[in-house]
Amino acid sequence: MTFPGQIDIHWSVLAPAIALLVTAAVTLFIALFGRDSRGAAGAALIGVITAGVFTLAQLLSGEANAASFGLRYLGDVPALTLTLVILLGTVAAVLVSWDQLQRGGMEHPEYYPLMLLSALGAVVMASAGDLITLILGLEIMSLPVYALSAWRTRDRQSEEAGMKYFLLGAFGSAILIYGAALVYGAAGSFVYGDVAAALSSGNLTLLATLGGALVLAGLGFKAALAPFHQWAPDVYTGAPTPVVTFMTVVIKIGAFAALLRLATVVFPALQPWLLTALAVMVALTLVVGNFSALMQRGVKRMLAYSSVAHAGYLGLALLATDHGGVAAAAFYLTAYAFMNAGAFAVLSLISDANDHGDDLERFAGLAKRRPWLAAVMTLFMLSLGGIPPLVGFAGKVLVFQAVIDAGYVWLAVLGIATSIVALVYYFRVVAYMYFRESAYEPPAFRSGATQVAIALALAGTLLLGVFPGWWHTLLSAGPRLLAGL
Amino acid sequence: MIVVPLVAAALVVLARRVLPLARVLAVAGAVATLVLAIFLPGTRPLDLTWLPGIGVSFSLDGNGAGSVLTFAAALMMIPAVLVATTRVASGAAGFAALLLVALGGLNGIFLAKDLVLFYVFWEATLIPGLLLLGIWGGERRREATVKYLVYAVTGSFFMLISILAVKALSGAASFHVIDLMLAAPELPVATQTWLFVGLAIGMAVKLPIWPLHSWLVDLNEQNHPSGAADVLGSLYKVGAFGFFAWGLPLLPAGALRVAPILLALSAVTALYGAFGAIGSNHLKRFLAYGSLSHMGIIGVGVFGMHLAGMSGAMYFLAAQMVSTGGLFLIVGMLYHRRRSLYLADYGGLAKAAPALAALTLFLIFTFIGVPGLSNFPGEFMSLLGAFQTSPWPAAIATLTVIAAGVYGVNLYQRLFQGRSEAVVKDLDALEMYVLLPVIVGVLLFGLMPAPHLQRIESQSQLAELQLERAAAAPGGITLSDVGGAR
Repeated sequence: MTFPGQIDIHWSVLAPAIALLVTAAVTLFIALFGRDSRGAAGAALIGVITAGVFTLAQLLSGEANAASFGLRYLGDVPALTLTLVILLGTVAAVLVSWDQLQRGGMEHPEYYPLMLLSALGAVVMASAGDLITLILGLEIMSLPVYALSAWRTRDRQSEEAGMKYFLLGAFGSAILIYGAALVYGAAGSFVYGDVAAALSSGNLTLLATLGGALVLAGLGFKAALAPFHQWAPDVYTGAPTPVVTFMTVVIKIGAFAALLRLATVVFPALQPWLLTALAVMVALTLVVGNFSALMQRGVKRMLAYSSVAHAGYLGLALLATDHGGVAAAAFYLTAYAFMNAGAFAVLSLISDANDHGDDLERFAGLAKRRPWLAAVMTLFMLSLGGIPPLVGFAGKVLVFQAVIDAGYVWLAVLGIATSIVALVYYFRVVAYMYFRESAYEPPAFRSGATQVAIALALAGTLLLGVFPGWWHTLLSAGPRLLAGL
Repeated sequence: MIVVPLVAAALVVLARRVLPLARVLAVAGAVATLVLAIFLPGTRPLDLTWLPGIGVSFSLDGNGAGSVLTFAAALMMIPAVLVATTRVASGAAGFAALLLVALGGLNGIFLAKDLVLFYVFWEATLIPGLLLLGIWGGERRREATVKYLVYAVTGSFFMLISILAVKALSGAASFHVIDLMLAAPELPVATQTWLFVGLAIGMAVKLPIWPLHSWLVDLNEQNHPSGAADVLGSLYKVGAFGFFAWGLPLLPAGALRVAPILLALSAVTALYGAFGAIGSNHLKRFLAYGSLSHMGIIGVGVFGMHLAGMSGAMYFLAAQMVSTGGLFLIVGMLYHRRRSLYLADYGGLAKAAPALAALTLFLIFTFIGVPGLSNFPGEFMSLLGAFQTSPWPAAIATLTVIAAGVYGVNLYQRLFQGRSEAVVKDLDALEMYVLLPVIVGVLLFGLMPAPHLQRIESQSQLAELQLERAAAAPGGITLSDVGGAR
């Protein structure tokens, strides 16, 4: 590995990450000395929005192709756009937490700082141009979330979720780090572009392939691709709903951002069977995620499995990075962030303070009791199911188009077939809300902040669904990826 | 065309607490759409970028067969929203709003000139229908909803795969109809056949043809008894239009391979529907089967792939929206009087309600295709066209015309003739207003087919041209071969 003589630092590229870091520190003090958690939440929001402004300024300034530390920390279009979506997801999670922490007796001062740190990790992952930066980002992202999933103290399920996530997560990280070490051994570099160049020039050894496979497995774990998805349903079910809102959106984006870069730059330089393995993983994820979701009675658990299924649709785009797959995946992640955060925000208003009571019966007759909430939830469900003209449909079309272009017609057919299954379980929620009468009157919880989150998610679901063009154009702009190509 | 009904729907929802206002807004929205539909032909096509990254544009064109269908749809939406806002007990404004949303979606289906956009509207229009059925439907509405959802979505998702693959495989510049029509027919016959089968699954469900029809009967039976939702049902039979506007011209070689099978199925559907109608004792099932029979004839017209047959089928499609929708509204009125949908509970109504009886007879005559009324020209041309290329299926389908006479007259007898002491109100002013657009539509489509047919014809010629070219290609099958093989 050769260090550049003088370390080049583009502060504008680093600005969003630094803003998040500073905010996390400031928020911790506010939370320690504040009366309740609202002040910290407000500070967190301000910090996230600041980071968003930095990102947007960079994206619109036209110099969207800077990098720092050689090509180790990138500020290209995918990095910046995905950073924006990560920040959006964080805003949604903070807003959902705003009233829920108090309601659930979870007001500990570390909550928002941890969430911000985790978002920072995801941003670093999205911007990573080499394996070391990737691992750093992954750990910054994961460690706070292990704690957050066990946030509901004295709750067996929540503690189990945290423990399970930690053990399996540590295992996944270890595999990834081992893989990265092997790749370094084979290629002599951590930087994606250099690795690809070294491997293409005839240095393709068993060592490199094994390393690539381990990296894929490690990231597959974070992205919840089958067969590494087992933790996801249990953790998502046990963790507090605001935390799950954060995890399903932000963690997923972080993991897929990293996978996207690797699938574009590094994997094609390795043995072709690695891509076949990825295709099989994706197929398996589609089938397992969708059919498991179909079996669930609890809406939260259904959404947990459905998030596994969505990892499968995103995985389709990974296989088509040469055919518009990068923009398709980024669009799909945006879509997923909006509609999924919206669905969990609605869920947090409907279930009990301890997150129980999320079964389908709880939704019966919701259309009568809270017509607007039911209407909004219907839109989120239909969007997740891929019904036009909502954003989920545009995402699916882009992904399927990319994967058909890339020649994986069988995967597209499988994806469509499993989408039929998906629509059945999403529509079941709608059917309960509209077509059934409730047997009892569950407690109604209202929260202004959560409503703001829902409004934000709804605006994204509708506007990006009806006008998908501009965002997709933005995502497709510029050179494909920096990463040394 | 699309925005007006949607805006009207939003206004209706906002005015839901003041029902009379909501009613006025809903009717005004439908009337405004109708006025737009009348002035649509001759306007310039709309072409906006939508998702340029993969070549999807927001392209609409008000010329061609679609404009006739939008006219019929908007016309029928007027009585439908009127009935919805007067005869639906709870949530009437929501009911009318969903109808208007569906109208916007239908207009999109009929006018879209971009294949993905077409799909967007095709799929989006499903949702209002589902909600109408699920919220306001009868006792077994949940089963009917699930059945409808699974049939429709399974079909249309396969359609989506074909849609996305057409462009990827043919290398067309975009999803716009012109680009696709240039590129897609160049695909090898085997590829075209598979793509066409994918499209056909989606479109056949919504044609509908046997054996993919069973959702229709349940849907109509379980829908709200006022008949307003069934009007939407009769408007949403867009499968034949899909074949006509997209399937045949884009994939002509595939169509030539597969059409004989679909033609035979259509003939079976026509006959099956007619016998189903003769055998049913439930008013809505009766109409569902009768309309299924019409759909079979439309299928025969389209898959006969003869110019006159295709034009006739599209004309019939528009005409049946009016006649079938009108009869569903009549059924709603009957239900309003007797609270039953079973034929056995009726009889002898003609004495007490002569105007109702007369108008019903008028619509039944229309339904069974009496000359001079709206269904006749289309039905006649569909069969005539099919006879030119494939006489046998056409002959089978023609049998249904006789069967239609049987079930039509039978229906009238069992409803209105015979002895009955029951006191039944005749038509009231509201119902007159409801039926007025229906009667106008029936007479207009029956007596003045020429202007509408001209517009359809221009598009049929295009489809015919594409088919001829595919047939003339070396190794292709010719139209006369298709007919001769039968």
